[in-house]
Amino acid sequence: MTADESAGAQKTHAVECSNQDYDFFYEGLEAKQLLVQKCGQCGILRSPPAPMCHKCRSLQWTAQPMSGRGHIWSYTVHRHPPLPGFVLPHPVGVVELTEGVRVPSGLDGIALEELRIGLPVEAEFFRRGSLATYCFRRPTS
Amino acid sequence: MQLRDKTAVVGIGATEFSKNSGRSELQLAAEAVLAALTDAGLTPEDVDGLCTYTADNNTEAEVARCIGAPNLTFFSQIGFGGGGACGPLHQAMLAVATGVADVVVCYRALNERSGYRFGQAFSPVVPGSNEALATYHTFHGLMTGAAMFALLIRRYMDETGATPEDFGHVAVASRKYASTNPNAFFYGKPITMADYLNSRMISDPIRLLDCCQESDGGVAVVVTSTERAKDLRQKPALIRAAAQGSAYQQIQVTNYYTQGAIEFKETALVARQLYQQAHLDPGDIGAAIIYDHFIPTVLMSLEAYGFCKPGEGKDFVKNANLEIGGELPLNTHGGQVGEAYIHGMNGIAEAVRQIRGTAVNQVSNLENILVTAGSGIPTGGVILASA
Repeated sequence: MTADESAGAQKTHAVECSNQDYDFFYEGLEAKQLLVQKCGQCGILRSPPAPMCHKCRSLQWTAQPMSGRGHIWSYTVHRHPPLPGFVLPHPVGVVELTEGVRVPSGLDGIALEELRIGLPVEAEFFRRGSLATYCFRRPTS
Repeated sequence: MQLRDKTAVVGIGATEFSKNSGRSELQLAAEAVLAALTDAGLTPEDVDGLCTYTADNNTEAEVARCIGAPNLTFFSQIGFGGGGACGPLHQAMLAVATGVADVVVCYRALNERSGYRFGQAFSPVVPGSNEALATYHTFHGLMTGAAMFALLIRRYMDETGATPEDFGHVAVASRKYASTNPNAFFYGKPITMADYLNSRMISDPIRLLDCCQESDGGVAVVVTSTERAKDLRQKPALIRAAAQGSAYQQIQVTNYYTQGAIEFKETALVARQLYQQAHLDPGDIGAAIIYDHFIPTVLMSLEAYGFCKPGEGKDFVKNANLEIGGELPLNTHGGQVGEAYIHGMNGIAEAVRQIRGTAVNQVSNLENILVTAGSGIPTGGVILASA
């Protein structure tokens, strides 16, 4: 590959507004995995992604698969304005994973009246249009 | 103030130079900043200022998040492409010479060959640090300012017991002020608590009447020395204090990832600096213009500015306390929900009118007025005062 064909040409996911810091995350979703960066030196997890560890400044990291279990840290129900690709009302929030790190997520499929801070949830992988993604739902078991 | 020889460049750092760095622009920025600090014998813990070009794709907050800098009290971007090359250094000189910051790092990092090419028809294809960060959230349908703030406000309600009625007191007071302001969009249109509570949900718990307006308009202000002000036409509004703040691991709007995320730590950082510079405390502030992107954030800002204790905003805003004659007349122009949303600059103009004594909803015997910028993001504040 030449420099002219660089950055972007090797992507294995379809999220346009991504870069070298975020590609692993969307690539993980293509493989139905929720990945979070783990520092290669001090081992802390970080979300949102960043190229450098804010604790020890290491540039080494691995993409760590998460359990997919956690609870709702906070949420909203988006009702207005219309959002391209989403059915309204759309519940969306931030989930605190059992591993201790927080991730944003759609809460598709949870009844609006069931939504509350602290609700146990579990990741489910699906495609929203052409994009591999995930949402958190009530645990199946 | 003499600026000559007051400040110095004490560290330089760089990545390798190439035609294809193979990593993000944010990583290049973080590596260069870290290298410069190492060269200087300093660490990220020493940094309280960051400056770059408006052309840079890496915000000061994102670079600070990478290197783990603690609180930033100074951040700035200079425009005009390569014409801005020395501007950040100029900003750093002013900030350090005046004591606004102690250690400022200036940076510029770009994938200008592998990502986009200035020599070609300009068409950026590499998203900047903020765009990629935003997509991490918009990807799930978290796409509007209202929805993004709604998560923080939901959490705030859960932790403090604040209710929609509590927020309604601020909305009703703001629209009452707007109703007597001929320049306000909602001139002559006050609302009741019932109007507020019945207004439709936009993104729970944010209602329509919580939202600032979408407005067209422009506002400008002129600053000169207090000495020169004596010869000019208007009564001056002295800048008693001004400050910026971006807190540890700060993220723009979607700031959900640290402990105590609802505390508006960046706003509290600004407050501490303002009171210290001005030799004042909250009790000395006679009126305030609190940035109202969404009404509930006003309670969180009142707490961060120390007008009441954490979680007690809901009590502070009751009993007409924000109206003329109350403890803290607030957003006397009607706020951005009532007058117009000119991104906070119309609030600065209102504060100047209050100090001049020419506001339509004038506070009597006013000495100090606080004006704040948007909370929950890297922010700022000023205290304007009577001579």
